[in-house]
Amino acid sequence: MAPVLEVEGLKKKYGSLEALKGISFRVEEGEIFGLIGPNGAGKTTTLRIISTLLTPTDGRVTFLGFDLKKNPEKFREKISYLPEEAGAYRNMKGIDYLNFMARFYASDEAEARKYVERAVGISGLGERLKDKAGTYSKGMTRKLLLARALMTKPALAILDEPTSGLDVINSLEVREMIKGFTKEGVSVLLSSHNMLEVEFLSDRVALIDRGIILDSGTPQALKEKYQASNLEIVFRRAVQ
Amino acid sequence: MKNFTHLLIKEIKELLNKQLVISLVFILVIFNFIGNVTRTEMKKAMSKQKIAVLDQDQSEISRNIIGALNMARFIIDEKTGDKQKVVEEVRNSSLDLLVVIPQGFGQQASSLQPAEVETYSFLRGVSISGRAKSEIVKALLNSTNEYLSNEYLKKKIPEADPKLLKAPIKNREFVVVKDRQAEGSSAAVLGALTAQNFILPVILMMIIMYSAQMVITAIAMEKQNKTLETLLTVPVSRGAIVMAKMLAAAVVGLVSAAIYMYGFRNAFNFTDMEDVSRALGGLSPILKQLGLTINTQGYILFGISLFLTILCALALATILGVLAEDYRTAQSLSVPLVFIVMVPYFISLFADINTMSLPAKILVLAIPFSHPFFAMQNIMFGHLKMLWLGIAYNFLFVVVMLWWTTRIFATDRVLTMKLKWRKKKVVL
Repeated sequence: MAPVLEVEGLKKKYGSLEALKGISFRVEEGEIFGLIGPNGAGKTTTLRIISTLLTPTDGRVTFLGFDLKKNPEKFREKISYLPEEAGAYRNMKGIDYLNFMARFYASDEAEARKYVERAVGISGLGERLKDKAGTYSKGMTRKLLLARALMTKPALAILDEPTSGLDVINSLEVREMIKGFTKEGVSVLLSSHNMLEVEFLSDRVALIDRGIILDSGTPQALKEKYQASNLEIVFRRAVQ
Repeated sequence: MKNFTHLLIKEIKELLNKQLVISLVFILVIFNFIGNVTRTEMKKAMSKQKIAVLDQDQSEISRNIIGALNMARFIIDEKTGDKQKVVEEVRNSSLDLLVVIPQGFGQQASSLQPAEVETYSFLRGVSISGRAKSEIVKALLNSTNEYLSNEYLKKKIPEADPKLLKAPIKNREFVVVKDRQAEGSSAAVLGALTAQNFILPVILMMIIMYSAQMVITAIAMEKQNKTLETLLTVPVSRGAIVMAKMLAAAVVGLVSAAIYMYGFRNAFNFTDMEDVSRALGGLSPILKQLGLTINTQGYILFGISLFLTILCALALATILGVLAEDYRTAQSLSVPLVFIVMVPYFISLFADINTMSLPAKILVLAIPFSHPFFAMQNIMFGHLKMLWLGIAYNFLFVVVMLWWTTRIFATDRVLTMKLKWRKKKVVL
């Protein structure tokens, strides 16, 4: 299978602080690739670089054959990024927000409408989409934003801590949304410090700590390699 | 272009929210209220008003003075009896002016001995109408003095003109502006120019302040609502994002400033624009002769200067907006900008930039907002070199600031630049 995304020797420095020390991984078409690691491991920095928010200090990122440094606009066209602490415009109705975002990706009105219809279905917010986003709960906002990220069927959806701050029910619904979408050919790169969630969602995972990828593979293969019952134990043993 | 228009509409909608509309309506209501109160007071001051008069003299001159008071828009409430009792009576009434003409006034005045009239002003507040009454009485007594002294001089030296005797030296005033000259009073010319341009610095200050605050708020709100990161990853150029924010802020800033100015004019239009026009009407041939009028070219140059200044303010405010983390920080960051705008505002009101010392002049002109404040003056007095230098300076400033702003938005700095006194925190 051809890789959708290829990251090679990616480095990022903030002054004297080395956040990424040369990480490499690949995301295949239609797979969910999970980056797992504790807070401060470098997950968000990695995702921000791939979604063109930050510039790498060194290394190479290729997406569908396009180089990040040379063609960042190609990344923005085909990638959807859901930041960890994202919000929606408080004075905009949910439906207007989806409309606003859809128009950036659609070539015409009909396509924009199609995206919005899809987002309405993904979000499951129904009539509440007619209310202003400022009145939404955290769970509702997250569903709205996830619907925004997936409505265009991006070649790659980058989801940073997709269930962060959500209750159990909302977390389950969001996970099912993500899982369901890969069946339609969307590749997903997600990060989480919730290793059990990543284990449930991901086809393959990379264990990241202090800017270095310690190991990667399918959850099953990693569990067998480290003789562990879950990814939390795998991570602990990989760090040791 | 499609994405830019799309962004621009969103930015305008975001800025023109319910809170802003309510505050603008509130400003209009408040200014309208102030205007109504002021106009009522002015009307009261101009209308016939009642004053008390105690004529203890009952001479021809005293009756003439009372007649003149009557002619001068006063309704006379004539009192009789003891002065102290009358003073007491008026104090307890709603009247606030008492004119007492003492016994022997007429005789002393006609024999050209010092004659006194007593006026008692009962202060019950600081209203304009109260002040106006005593001023009218004072003017009336001055003209009575003038009349009496003229009569005396006519009697003593019948062949001489009393006016000439009192003021043998006449001053014929000329005003010179560069190579032009006109007969007239320099004070009147300066007064006319001030009256004509008094509102301009206020308008300029409002436009610059409002636009700058709008753009700082727009960026800070994106950060506070955590929408900036998402916006920066959509397929639209960073330049378009910056320009849409700046243009939207300029549009909403201009609308807000226009509404504010409309209210301001409504509230503080004491003299009525018709009065100013009438006063200027008399002086307009002199102003024209001196070249102190603005032609179409002048207005175009002023427009260019103003446009570049607004761009300077927007670019500077955009950078400040990037430094802000939330709405509150944005408000604090806009304070220094307001003070910087106030420097040329006050200088344009109370000083002449051309007579300032060189270091002070350089310091003031280094502020990009200064130039339109002095542009009108420069156009009228033909200091076109200074005007063009100002335009060139602002143009350079805008180019550098826009380049810098776009660079900030195109790099990590849009997310990592923060105004923090403690050590920078980085999200890994």
